[in-house]
Amino acid sequence: MNETVVRAAGLGITIVYAALIAWLFVRQPATFAEVTGGLTSAVGAYRIDQQAFDDGMRYFRSDQFSEARAAFERADPARRDALTQFYIGYAFYRQGWGRFYSDDRLYREGLEAVNRAIALAPEGRLVVEEPGQEIRTADELKAELERGLVVEPSDFNPARVIRPRR
Amino acid sequence: MTAAREAIYLPVLLLTVTLLGGLRPGAAVLLTPPSLFSLILAVLLVGVLVQSGAFVPLRVMNGSRPALANLNGGVLVAALLVASAQMFSLLTPDTGLPRVLFSVYFLVLMINTMAASPDRVRVLRSLAVTFGAAFVVKFIVLDALSDPAGGRLTRLLQVLFEGVTLGALTQDVQHPAAGYLAFLVIVMFLVAVALLLSALPSASRAIVVREADVPEA
Repeated sequence: MNETVVRAAGLGITIVYAALIAWLFVRQPATFAEVTGGLTSAVGAYRIDQQAFDDGMRYFRSDQFSEARAAFERADPARRDALTQFYIGYAFYRQGWGRFYSDDRLYREGLEAVNRAIALAPEGRLVVEEPGQEIRTADELKAELERGLVVEPSDFNPARVIRPRR
Repeated sequence: MTAAREAIYLPVLLLTVTLLGGLRPGAAVLLTPPSLFSLILAVLLVGVLVQSGAFVPLRVMNGSRPALANLNGGVLVAALLVASAQMFSLLTPDTGLPRVLFSVYFLVLMINTMAASPDRVRVLRSLAVTFGAAFVVKFIVLDALSDPAGGRLTRLLQVLFEGVTLGALTQDVQHPAAGYLAFLVIVMFLVAVALLLSALPSASRAIVVREADVPEA
């Protein structure tokens, strides 16, 4: 083979490989699905599993939050879809919400999910137009979760027990 | 050196060392970039390789070569530097007193090797011994001393060492695959270094005779 072709091919291969390694070090994917999902989303070819997402929404509306999260995780194994991550966070919020106290562990996981959703959304803005849904933006959900994680004077207000779950 | 070796095999091998050397298997797989100090050690190591003739940068980058060939050479030098840094990061313990000791050990060793100016073969042997010894200490000795599931003797040694070093010796327990992965990375790096373009053997050096030096008949 012509030496110039070999050198040009070598340069191309090396640059692509080095870029892939740099991407892996920056993004730190934890699973192979995250690697492939990240690469396909980089070229705009990533798609969620719509059937699993619809299942997740059905469970979510019927207050089956663990089932909903399992379906959402199946729909978006690479964690590259902002809407799915939003609903994972929302499911954590609703499950962790309590009239007297909130579950900090679930709220923290919800906060991680909503932060991922914000990071994935164009310009960090995510609006969900869903009829009957109280929280419609990722910013609102994030604020709710953060409020639940801090102890403030209003937590001791007896009227708190009659506040609605959003 | 063939064009394929310079442009494809060696950069890919060195980049693979960079990738696998940063891999920390465990419950959550982590990719660790080389530390700043390991970059300094890598510069010293490349200096040692150049000084000993194990790697001659002028043979892969010089004015008489085409631009594309020089680009290949530049990529090779960069890959060698990053892979060397990753090697030091891989072989240095993550925390505590062993981290400090290993860092000083590597630094002194690199400076000492530069001062001794050994030839290519001796540098390659020395590198194999250095990395091999560091591998044994980090992945076998320290790992055994840090393993909470070890036997009575291990636990006794742990108590003893922790008492002497005020708890600064023990490391986080590593995944069983970490040692095997590190061994593979060391072998790959040593193979890559051995394949680098070394100084020409004296027999193949060109003898240039200037006209003025030729005695008149």
